[in-house]
Amino acid sequence: MRHANVVILTDESEFARLLTACWQAERQAPGIAVLNSDLWREHDAPPADLIVVGPVREGKLTSVLQSVDPGTAVILCAPADSREFGQLRAKYPRLVHIPLREDWAQTLLLVAGESLRRTEALRIARQAERNAAKNENYATLGRYMLDMKHSLNNALTSTLGNAELLLFEPGQLTSQSLAQIKTIHSMALRINEIMQRFSSLASEMTEAENASQAETEEMPTPTSPRR
Amino acid sequence: MQFFSVDKYGEPTAVQKKVLIVDDSPAEVKLILGLLEKEGYWPVGLNDPRRVEEVITNERPNVILLDVVMPDRNGFQVCRDLKGNAEFNTIPVILVTSKDTASDKYWGQQQGADGYVTKPFTREELLRAVRRFA
Repeated sequence: MRHANVVILTDESEFARLLTACWQAERQAPGIAVLNSDLWREHDAPPADLIVVGPVREGKLTSVLQSVDPGTAVILCAPADSREFGQLRAKYPRLVHIPLREDWAQTLLLVAGESLRRTEALRIARQAERNAAKNENYATLGRYMLDMKHSLNNALTSTLGNAELLLFEPGQLTSQSLAQIKTIHSMALRINEIMQRFSSLASEMTEAENASQAETEEMPTPTSPRR
Repeated sequence: MQFFSVDKYGEPTAVQKKVLIVDDSPAEVKLILGLLEKEGYWPVGLNDPRRVEEVITNERPNVILLDVVMPDRNGFQVCRDLKGNAEFNTIPVILVTSKDTASDKYWGQQQGADGYVTKPFTREELLRAVRRFA
């Protein structure tokens, strides 16, 4: 699994300190950046797979959530009785909320682990889609090359074969004609060599395609809590 | 089928062996005919793979050179049919094709082909393959 990045956005340093400590005790801790709501600017924020929004000053939550990229997973960890949260819940029905109760840190780590796994799965799926599109292009190119190779080889068989027939029994050919046929013969052999390189390229493309497929089939490693 | 002449002691001597060339391209057939004739073979050309059995029955060739990519009936099908037919399955079949990947060759073997020559071939490569059987 790729190393995940998490932003903890809170105005309560104790919240950030406790959560960071809990995370760092995990087997696979993500990269963590802590910001307060004054420092938060979406375009300046470090890239994050997950944003954990902890307690922030009254009125800041709405502006923070509005500025978050809709594609980024957000876990909100706020008191359940927060008035601002009540309004936000209606506006962002998919927002994951963890109430600030005594076991909030463990719950948050479990939910965050799932969220990061989902983000990673989505990333792999998107990568697989991109690879599939790329492979489709390669396949089209490969089919075209195979067709061309077949036609070229057939034409080359006649060129090479007839030149050989003439060289085998030169008969009344003049020395100039003979030299020209020898040139045709050697050029046909050279084209044949080039066609062989095309075959090698086709094999390399197949290998690259297989490697790409293996990469996209790679499964994410779960980040399980230390037991 | 072999054609005989009589030597100076009055003994029959095999002089020509018949090779059936099956290829949809008249130019390819003509080329192989020319190459084999110069080597003393009796080549017979056929452009229509649907008539292979009929021509074999009439000509009784010693070996068959068979193209693979042909309309109506490809060389793999022809080879499979011949090898599944008790009347024809002893005649060696050499696939002569521009399909040159390992999987093509493997597939050719699976159809019962006795030899495989990839296009473009040199005169020597073709003759070497034919001499194995005739």
